[in-house]
Amino acid sequence: MTVLLGDPVLEELRQILGPEHVLTGKADRLNRARVPAPFPVHRWAERMPDLVVLPASTEEVAEVLRLANSLRIPVVPRDGGTGLTDGAVPLRGGIVVDVKRINQIKEIDLDNRTCTVGTGINALKLNEVIARHGLIYPDDPASYPCSLVGGRIGTSGWSLIGSRYGHTRDLVLSFDHVLPTGRVIHVGDGIGRKITKSSSGYQLKHLFMGHQGTLGIATEATLKLFPKPEAELSPFWAFEDYDSAYRAVGALARAGVATFAGAVLFDEWKVDYLRRDDEAYIPQPSSVKALVCAAMYGYEDEVRAGGRRLLRIARSLGARYLGDEISEGDWAARHDRYATPLHGRTRSGQVVPMSWHCEDASINYTNLPAVRLAWHEIADRLRRESDVFDDWGMFAYTNGATGADYLTEIDIGIWEQRLDDAAWEAWVRAKRDLAAVTLAHGGSISACHGSCREGEVDLVPVELGGGYDVMLDIKRAIDPNNIMNPGKYLLDQAYAEKS
Amino acid sequence: MPDPEKRFAEEWRNAAYNCFSSGHKFCREVCPVMQVTRNESWSPTAFHANVVAMEKGELEVADVAADYVNCTGCGACELRCPNSLFTGDFYRFRTRTVDLVKAVRGLAVSQGVHQPGWQRWNLLTDERRHEPVLNGTPVDQARVRDWADGLDLPIGGETILFVDCEAAFYRTSVPRSVARILNLAGYKFGLMNEQWCCGGPAAEMGYEEQARRFAQHNLDDWRAAGVRRVLVLDPHDYITFTEDYPKYFGDAYDIEIVLVVELLAELIREGRLTPHVPVERTVTYHDPCRLNKRKGVWREPREILRAIPGLTFHDVDRVTQWSYCSGGGGGLPVEKPELTAKISEHRVEKAAELGVDTLVSACPWSERPLSEAGRARSIDVVDLHELLAESLGVAP
Ligand SMILES: Cc1cc2nc3c(=O)[nH]c(=O)nc-3n(C[C@H](O)[C@H](O)[C@H](O)COP(=O)(O)OP(=O)(O)OC[C@H]3O[C@@H](n4cnc5c(N)ncnc54)[C@H](O)[C@@H]3O)c2cc1C
Ligand code: SF4
Ligand code: SF4
Repeated sequence: MTVLLGDPVLEELRQILGPEHVLTGKADRLNRARVPAPFPVHRWAERMPDLVVLPASTEEVAEVLRLANSLRIPVVPRDGGTGLTDGAVPLRGGIVVDVKRINQIKEIDLDNRTCTVGTGINALKLNEVIARHGLIYPDDPASYPCSLVGGRIGTSGWSLIGSRYGHTRDLVLSFDHVLPTGRVIHVGDGIGRKITKSSSGYQLKHLFMGHQGTLGIATEATLKLFPKPEAELSPFWAFEDYDSAYRAVGALARAGVATFAGAVLFDEWKVDYLRRDDEAYIPQPSSVKALVCAAMYGYEDEVRAGGRRLLRIARSLGARYLGDEISEGDWAARHDRYATPLHGRTRSGQVVPMSWHCEDASINYTNLPAVRLAWHEIADRLRRESDVFDDWGMFAYTNGATGADYLTEIDIGIWEQRLDDAAWEAWVRAKRDLAAVTLAHGGSISACHGSCREGEVDLVPVELGGGYDVMLDIKRAIDPNNIMNPGKYLLDQAYAEKS
Repeated sequence: MPDPEKRFAEEWRNAAYNCFSSGHKFCREVCPVMQVTRNESWSPTAFHANVVAMEKGELEVADVAADYVNCTGCGACELRCPNSLFTGDFYRFRTRTVDLVKAVRGLAVSQGVHQPGWQRWNLLTDERRHEPVLNGTPVDQARVRDWADGLDLPIGGETILFVDCEAAFYRTSVPRSVARILNLAGYKFGLMNEQWCCGGPAAEMGYEEQARRFAQHNLDDWRAAGVRRVLVLDPHDYITFTEDYPKYFGDAYDIEIVLVVELLAELIREGRLTPHVPVERTVTYHDPCRLNKRKGVWREPREILRAIPGLTFHDVDRVTQWSYCSGGGGGLPVEKPELTAKISEHRVEKAAELGVDTLVSACPWSERPLSEAGRARSIDVVDLHELLAESLGVAP
């Protein structure tokens, strides 16, 4: 149901933000109705907001929310617009609050080693500035050049080097958060802006992280900084079969090397996908079936020593080191090789522009092989059904330093030019099946993107059980009028129960 | 949908989908317009997505024409795009945002959708055969060679120097410096017989017919005078002569285009020019977008700077400079001077962080906005050719 906004609302928003920061044009709205995740383009218009606003401060965001709350207008926060579960895409029209203008660096505190920024800033841009102080903010998703701090909070994102430095939830110390009613609170550990651990009260920081814009809007965040690593080592190894690569990745993660920042396992479908062009991947003999990479960050002397240990472990498990050049090149390309539509193939091998979709889950190490087979089977079924789909292979990335669980992703190419209702239905079914496999193996449906998209969202109440009921209670308590990103995470149920 | 729009959508469909299907916006943070406006509607990916929406019948060119003003044609987004960076050579595909923006502007004009500033600018250009440059500066054919007064340069010959409108009428010390340096090196060249604007700006703003007409005039003039080689000091002209003209004239276009910066670096390398007068300045270099990002010319200007004695040169690597722009290109200053000013402020701020007293540029069109921004921070903006002339002891 689309809310039609009368002129008085528009006028009031213009008063609050200045007329040039209230956008009503159709192109402005179409472009805020879209994220990189594929969707049926012929239904684009169904997802449009009525208005887009570009606030410049916490106060402006608060005023917009106060107004929207009083008039029961849906509000969707949007930052980089790179989220892959449609979090920033409106389902009910209303106002998109695009926070990109709130991107100032307010403070760099060299003694406590923190910085405070507007949530519209990008980590890459921030790092260009703090590098001058020899510091780094190590939230490093594959979307490092394009995702922004607010969206990282909204999704509770996952960092490629998180085993060393932690993920977004660990790296964001605290933030200003505008509640759906317009009230501004500061959440962190306790109230502290730069406190890293407290035990006062409930742990609200985590509640307001990963909610996909359903509980309010983060506007200013204080972030943990680290010394800029002096050295980086990222060896890549080739294996003749998946099983030995799997054994190796586990051993590397469990070794407990302090500079260990993460390990990645590429399966045979992924290796095939990379072979599709010779710029993203230097050709390897066809005997190479799986790849493993590890990344280490720290001071030169500790990285070198830790690296020697990991190289020894890998060798003892049958790995062939691919050499410095390939290793460094592949790791340097970690942000760019994703989402290249030209990798798309029909069954007959024709190159067609396909969108990249990444279905992710947290899976325990011991369950990786089984989940992998079940997931590829689902992808294979899709591919048999239609040329619209392509299997781009799987990655497993360590989530933490212990190697207990892995961000497990299967990448599916989707030919959006041909994506009709029938193909979309098949896709939604497949997403549901992928999520079901995750739950059957004791996993969590998402490790980094969230899980509020058609298909997998149906199983969120199953995954959370009684926890989901608590989620409904919280949503109702914090957002009494269901204005924040309504329809996401099936949270409308919170209001159905009440009436 | 009107026919021209349909044809346009067909032509650009796959290129638009190649971006739309990625949609990751890796390009966003290098875009100078995006940096200062933070408005996603004016990002390279929106420029592509709109074409998809046009194809779907969701938008018409009139809905979006004003959005496409917000591009300086710097080319940063194209370089940053993984579709160019990664798979481009392999699949012979390159993201061509700059051409797309030009094409949409052209479509708009052909559909009678005008931006008032651009329309006026191109009318005046058409009337005077030269861009209006600055209010009050008399601009016409009779004065296009005034900059060369007293230099005693011949007209015509095998090699001529083409001087862009900004430099010919306003930044006259730049072409004078170039002429004096070339004379010093004994390099023979003449001036054009009847020089009109290169037509590049008209093409950038969507006035294609006018652009072609001007191009035809210039080519005819060159042919009549037996010109074989054209020296160009302005990066914008360089793009027009090496990209637009070949497109207009095809194989019949047999004129050699020489970029002055490259020629000067060569003359220094060969020992035909030796900068010797120390220039005591602390400088950094602003890579003009059309040289570094669009043409891959970044070594030669640095060679020249390093050859000048007395200079302390704080370089910024050329890849970092992908996200720098003066805001002076693509017609932006004509429609949105306030955005150009902000982009220039941003650029000068980056220079200030390096503790320099001078920002060296090699593009006449960047100097007006950069100088303005530089004044607020006490940073001088100086042209590379002029700096070299100073060190060679030849006053403009
Ligand atoms: C090529 C590519 C690679 C990727 N790799 C990774 C990866 O390695 N790790 C990873 O975690 N993700 C990855 N992603 C997904 C995406 O980048 C992340 O989900 C990211 O956190 C989204 O940030 P954003 O700024 O784009 O947010 P958006 O897409 O704008 O928003 C994401 C969600 O957060 C909400 N939100 C936005 N701003 C705020 C705010 N200020 N306050 C509260 N809620 C807000 C939105 O409503 C939405 O629900 C990748 C995406 C792409 C395209
Ligand atoms: S232009 Fe390139 S980098 Fe930018 S969104 Fe499109 S595909 Fe991505
Ligand atoms: S060419 Fe430059 S100004 Fe235009 S969209 Fe690309 S980066 Fe932005």
